[in-house]
Order: sequence, then structure tokens, then C-alpha cells
Amino acid sequence: MHHQHRMMYVSAGLCLLACLILTVDLTLGLRPNKNIAFTFILPAGTTECFYQTTAREDSMEVDYQVIAGSGLDVGFVLISPSGYRLISDFRRSDGIHMVDPTEDGDYRLCFDNSFSKLSEKMVFFEVIINSQSSIGGAQDEWVDMTMMESTGYKLEDIRAKIDTVYQHLERTRQIQTLLRTFEARDRYLLEDNLWRVSFWSCVNLLVMLAVAVTQIYTLQRLFDNTKRVCT
Amino acid sequence: MGLRGVGFLLQCYLVLATGMYFDLGEQEEKCIIEEIPEDTLVTGHFLLEPWDLKALTHSAHLGVTATVKDPNHEVQMSKRYGKFGKFTFTAHASGQHYLCFQTNSTRFSVFAGERLKLHLDVQMGEHSTDHHAVKTKDNMETLENSLTHLIDQMMYIARQQEYQREKEEVFRQISENTNGKVLWWAVVQTSILLSVGFWQMKRLKDFFVAKKLV
Repeated sequence: MHHQHRMMYVSAGLCLLACLILTVDLTLGLRPNKNIAFTFILPAGTTECFYQTTAREDSMEVDYQVIAGSGLDVGFVLISPSGYRLISDFRRSDGIHMVDPTEDGDYRLCFDNSFSKLSEKMVFFEVIINSQSSIGGAQDEWVDMTMMESTGYKLEDIRAKIDTVYQHLERTRQIQTLLRTFEARDRYLLEDNLWRVSFWSCVNLLVMLAVAVTQIYTLQRLFDNTKRVCT
Repeated sequence: MGLRGVGFLLQCYLVLATGMYFDLGEQEEKCIIEEIPEDTLVTGHFLLEPWDLKALTHSAHLGVTATVKDPNHEVQMSKRYGKFGKFTFTAHASGQHYLCFQTNSTRFSVFAGERLKLHLDVQMGEHSTDHHAVKTKDNMETLENSLTHLIDQMMYIARQQEYQREKEEVFRQISENTNGKVLWWAVVQTSILLSVGFWQMKRLKDFFVAKKLV
């Protein structure tokens, strides 16, 4: 009993310390964009769900793409923390959705492959969160700015430029990821095509030869039979 | 150092706790596929929690086995961790790597079918996430840190671009291969068709001549 109380106090203390650190962190300029991308294999006939925690008044962008698997389509459902089904895509090969503003809680993203009994799908999805809460919070980071003003450039300008470059680079990364998935999807399709061309050409050849031989022997048998019937 | 270490760990914990998670059943293995160019350092942070935080009545020993498979499906790394950990590996070959996670929690057989939450954050490249943890009063150092982060970011983008060019070359070769094969098969099929046609006619003619019908 005593031990449990002590554990509670210790964990409460840790929680408080954690909250303090998080607050300090946010005010000292934690970068506002968060970017999570996963590629996974969705087995046939199953549904996989992923959960993303968001804060209030953020904006969340979800985009997904099916990279491999016959049919190249998957069902997608986005459920808000309060249980409302916000987005419901049925058998699409790619999609981009934006949720703005977001609620506080866990959003649920589900990918549905239950309509396909045989083929598994490789799905890529990306969640980009633009957090509003810390955009204006990076002011305290640069103290004692008077020192640098003699050079003609204000430190504030440098910081603003660095932030702009950082945002652009983040956007570049996201677009690069998107292009990478397009290329992966096309490459799988092409490899599939190559295999299919070889296979069906072989089959075609064998069927042709078999049909040719069968035709000749059937004709010969026909005449043999009539010969026998006639005589 | 101790306090900073604890602070850093807590920060990671919090950043993970607000991140993405998915459910992991008992003894279930879930894999994430990452396309990684060679010689890239990959860092992964994960945190394992029971699904229902309030239902944790006993001190279950939660653990995760993280397995990394390289593009040839060989196991590159396989380690066991506690419920919160960080793993790193360097990709030796370019291609698709499989990062698989499996719980090896021992006490779970009592609560059959209980689910776990696995928070996951995978980062590629050498920019460290904890550059925010280094807060100094010195403007020059902060500027330096920001610029270093930007440089890491740009190097990552350049590396990915190079990798993309390599893959496009492979893609082009496969494309040309397919084209060549289609053409070759078409020619072979036409020639076989013609030769079989001639053979059939010759065979039938000989047959009819032998049967004295012609």
C-alpha cells in the first residue's frame, strides 16, 4: 500500500517534470512540422489501422498510395477521436486528404483490403502535421541581439531566412518522398509486365505447337476412320 | 549529465507519445518497409505501451524484438529491447529494408488477446533529433546548430536524389529489356507460325498422296 503510494508520487513527479520540459521545449522553438511516412504490406483480406495523435487547431494532411498488388486499390477510412467517420474511400489507388482544424486526440487511419481474397497490397502513406501551437514561440531563442547589429544584418533576419529555408527543404523532402513512391509503383508494375510477357509468350508458343500437331493428327485419324468405315 | 540524459530520454518519450502508433497483438510481427540508399544511418525510436493504460494492474514485462532485414531478405540486425528503446543501423546495400517488430512480453499469456500500442519514429540520415535539446545562450552556437541542421537536411535530399537516379536507371533497363523481349517473342512466334503452317501443308499433301485421294 505504502509502496503503491510512493510509486504514484514518483510517477506524478516525473509527469510534472515531463510537462515542464515539454512546455519549455515548445516555447523554445520545436519545429512546427511533423512528417511520418510508412510503407507496409497489407495482407489479403485484412484491415490495418494506424493511430496519430494531434493537438487542437493543428492541420493534418494524409496521403496514401498503393505501390504493388494486383488491382492497385485499397479502401481508406479516417475516423476522428470523437468517432466520426470523416473520410471514406472505397477502392482507390491513391488519395490526398486534409483535416483542418484537428481535434485533440487520436485519429484513426484504416486501410482495408478485405475485398481481395488473394492479393496482398503494399501501401505507402504519409501524415504531415502542421502544428499551429509553436509557430510564434521561437522568439526567446535569440537573446542579446544587440551584439550583432553592427554588422548591418539583424540576427532576426538571419533567423527568419533560416526558417524559410528549412520550411522549403521540408517541402522538398515531402515531394521527393511522393515522387519516390510513384517511381516504386511504376517499377513494380513494369517488373510484373516483364514476367507476364515472358510467361504468356511461352504459353502461346506451346499452345500453337500443340494445336498444330493435334490438327494434323486429327485429320489423319478422320481419314483413317472413313477408310475403315468405307471398306 | 545524468539530468540531461534523463531530460533527453523524457523528451524522446514525449515526442514519441504524440506520434504515430499502431496496435500489435501478442506474438504478432508487424513490418515496415523502408527504401534506403546504401551507407545511410537509420535511427528508430519506439515505445511499447499497453492498449488500455488504466487496465495495467500487474507489472508485465514488456519487450520488443526489432529485426532488420536487408534487400536480400537476410537478417541484418535482431535485438531485444525493453518497452522503450532506440535502434540504429547502417544500410549496406541500397534497396528495400524490412523493419519488423515483435513483442516478446512474457506475462501476456495470462491476458490472452490483449493488444499493445507500439509508437514508432524512424529517421534517416545523420541529423540528430536532439539538436533542439542543445539550448545555449550563445547566439553563434545556435546559429551554427541551425546551419548544421540545414546542411544535414540538404545532404539527405541530395543523397535521395542520387538514389532516385540510380533507380531510374534500373527502371529504364527493365523497360528496354521488356521491349526487347516483346519484339523477340513476336518475331519467334511469327516464324514458328509460318514454319508450322508449311509443315502442316506438306504433311497433309504427303498424306493425301499416300492415300491416293489426290
